[in-house]
Amino acid sequence: MSTTTENRAGVPTRSSAGTGGVTFGGVVKSEWIKLRSLTSTQILLILTLVATVGIGALAVLIRYSFINQIAQRAKEAGQTVTPELLTSAFPKGSGFELYNLPNAGLQIGTLVLGSLAVLFISSEYATGMIRSTMNAVPKRIPAFLAKALLLVVVSYVITTIAAFLTFLIAMPVFRGYNLDLTWSTDGVMYSIFTGGLYVAGVALIGLSLGALLRNSAGGVTVLVALFFVLSIASGFLSLVPGDFWKYVPQYIPSEAGGRFLAIGHVDGVIDPWQGGLIFLGYVLLFLIPALLVIKKRDV
Amino acid sequence: MIEARGLSKVYGAKTAVDGVSFTVQAGRVTGFLGPNGAGKSTTMRMIMGLDRPTSGDVKVNGRHYSEHRDPLHQVGALLDAKAVHTGRSAYNHLLAMAATHNIPTSRVHEVIEMTGLGAVAKKKAGGFSLGMGQRLGIAAALLGDPQTLILDEPVNGLDPEGVLWVRNLVRYLASQGKTVFLSSHLMSEMSQTADHLIVIGRGKIIADAPVKDIIAGAQQAKVLVRTSATSHLSSLLVGDGVRVDQSETETLEVTGLQARQIAQIALDNQVLVYELTPQVSSLEDAYFNLTKDEVEYHSHVSGEPALAAAPEGK
Repeated sequence: MSTTTENRAGVPTRSSAGTGGVTFGGVVKSEWIKLRSLTSTQILLILTLVATVGIGALAVLIRYSFINQIAQRAKEAGQTVTPELLTSAFPKGSGFELYNLPNAGLQIGTLVLGSLAVLFISSEYATGMIRSTMNAVPKRIPAFLAKALLLVVVSYVITTIAAFLTFLIAMPVFRGYNLDLTWSTDGVMYSIFTGGLYVAGVALIGLSLGALLRNSAGGVTVLVALFFVLSIASGFLSLVPGDFWKYVPQYIPSEAGGRFLAIGHVDGVIDPWQGGLIFLGYVLLFLIPALLVIKKRDV
Repeated sequence: MIEARGLSKVYGAKTAVDGVSFTVQAGRVTGFLGPNGAGKSTTMRMIMGLDRPTSGDVKVNGRHYSEHRDPLHQVGALLDAKAVHTGRSAYNHLLAMAATHNIPTSRVHEVIEMTGLGAVAKKKAGGFSLGMGQRLGIAAALLGDPQTLILDEPVNGLDPEGVLWVRNLVRYLASQGKTVFLSSHLMSEMSQTADHLIVIGRGKIIADAPVKDIIAGAQQAKVLVRTSATSHLSSLLVGDGVRVDQSETETLEVTGLQARQIAQIALDNQVLVYELTPQVSSLEDAYFNLTKDEVEYHSHVSGEPALAAAPEGK
């Protein structure tokens, strides 16, 4: 009799299920299990690393053959081949300086990890899994933040590893021409450690798009439009007469973020830290509405 | 315990749930019965905080579901067997759910065994049959050994053995002092499983009583009478509060009179009656009686014989 009354009063009895409540650590662990337990995710993550390093290696090859041509031409003209002559092919601010080689394959990484981020939440809406998620974490926001945290860590780690690997490939290639390209070259370490931040930012925008649109195809399309189509389209602005339009493209997400990955001041262009702040602004522009919608909307 | 007060949900121009108030008590199985589209699922979704009520309020174990520190230990819910990522195995699905509350892996294995999913636990949930999906949903609901269990159509797609298992399970959990709230549109299932019924139609509560009372309330003393003189007898019987329907040749259904009274009238008027059977109503009759005006989607079968035909004039 006494046991029954205890049960009715809701006093937790000894149970194999434990009596712990929801913890943020638990929610992160739950989201990690979800992330790693899908074959599609495993394939995409490996693909990201392989493709980023692969495209990076290709970029190394292209720049090497470019330098090679300059060297050949100089030899034919009877000039001495100096490192200064060779690097003149990659003027400051051109985006093709050697120090940013670690991030040469970055674009493919943003594309795959950004899409993965969209899918991380949109696939839950598509399959109905989101209702199980919200049942276990009815406050909702911790589940979204756990997803965001994991995507930031995974994007950063994969991109940084890829940057290291790309640079390992690049170093011996350029050493043949006595080009100063080592770990201590200005901007190399900066490139290696900031590339992941940019990709993590793209992933956060992807996750936000997935939450806002609840649709995988729609989310990926908007993400590609934002980071690739817009960049190409803004290129046409330079064809418009007048100086004003030439300064507009640097404010779009991919250009501002790209500027953040560069070093040094260039006249008429925003500084790297300004680019970083503008890019962060874009991330928040998508992240905050997504958080509000997650909290309020029926699932 | 579940307490709903003036709970409403409006989708655009459609009112799915219209100011319902009810209490689901611990220690018994409460059935939630109603036709398709009556508002059962919407009400359950509001209890679980998935849908925000347009007005009103609903609490589980004294609090809004989202305000519980340990929601999975408070309430286990099966609202939709498809609330699973199709590309993930049943085991990993349960493991991810369990991780949020730091529920040990041993408990995941326990619910897999309990629900008979052992053989398919490592397979992708997308390939599950309706019945297997249902078992996985029930496993997820049981994961936190919750104080309150909310099951939307739990026997949907289950084989007879599975139906029996769910019936025994919910009866056992209720006997352990837990709150069990399950919806169904199957009256026969409800009459065998539930102690108490809440009947909903077009978003409104139309009955909230023990199963026995609901069946008894529907007993309108209907008596089956077989006689060759149907038109003569019916003209004798018809009167205030008495209704006579001819269901087939030489057969009358009399509502509003006891078998003994009918026999007396027949004897007084020298009418031969060769069968006189009081009809016992089932939960099914009770349900149709309660919901006949509340059914959202009437099915019209062409060539359906008109019910309640007037006595033949021959």
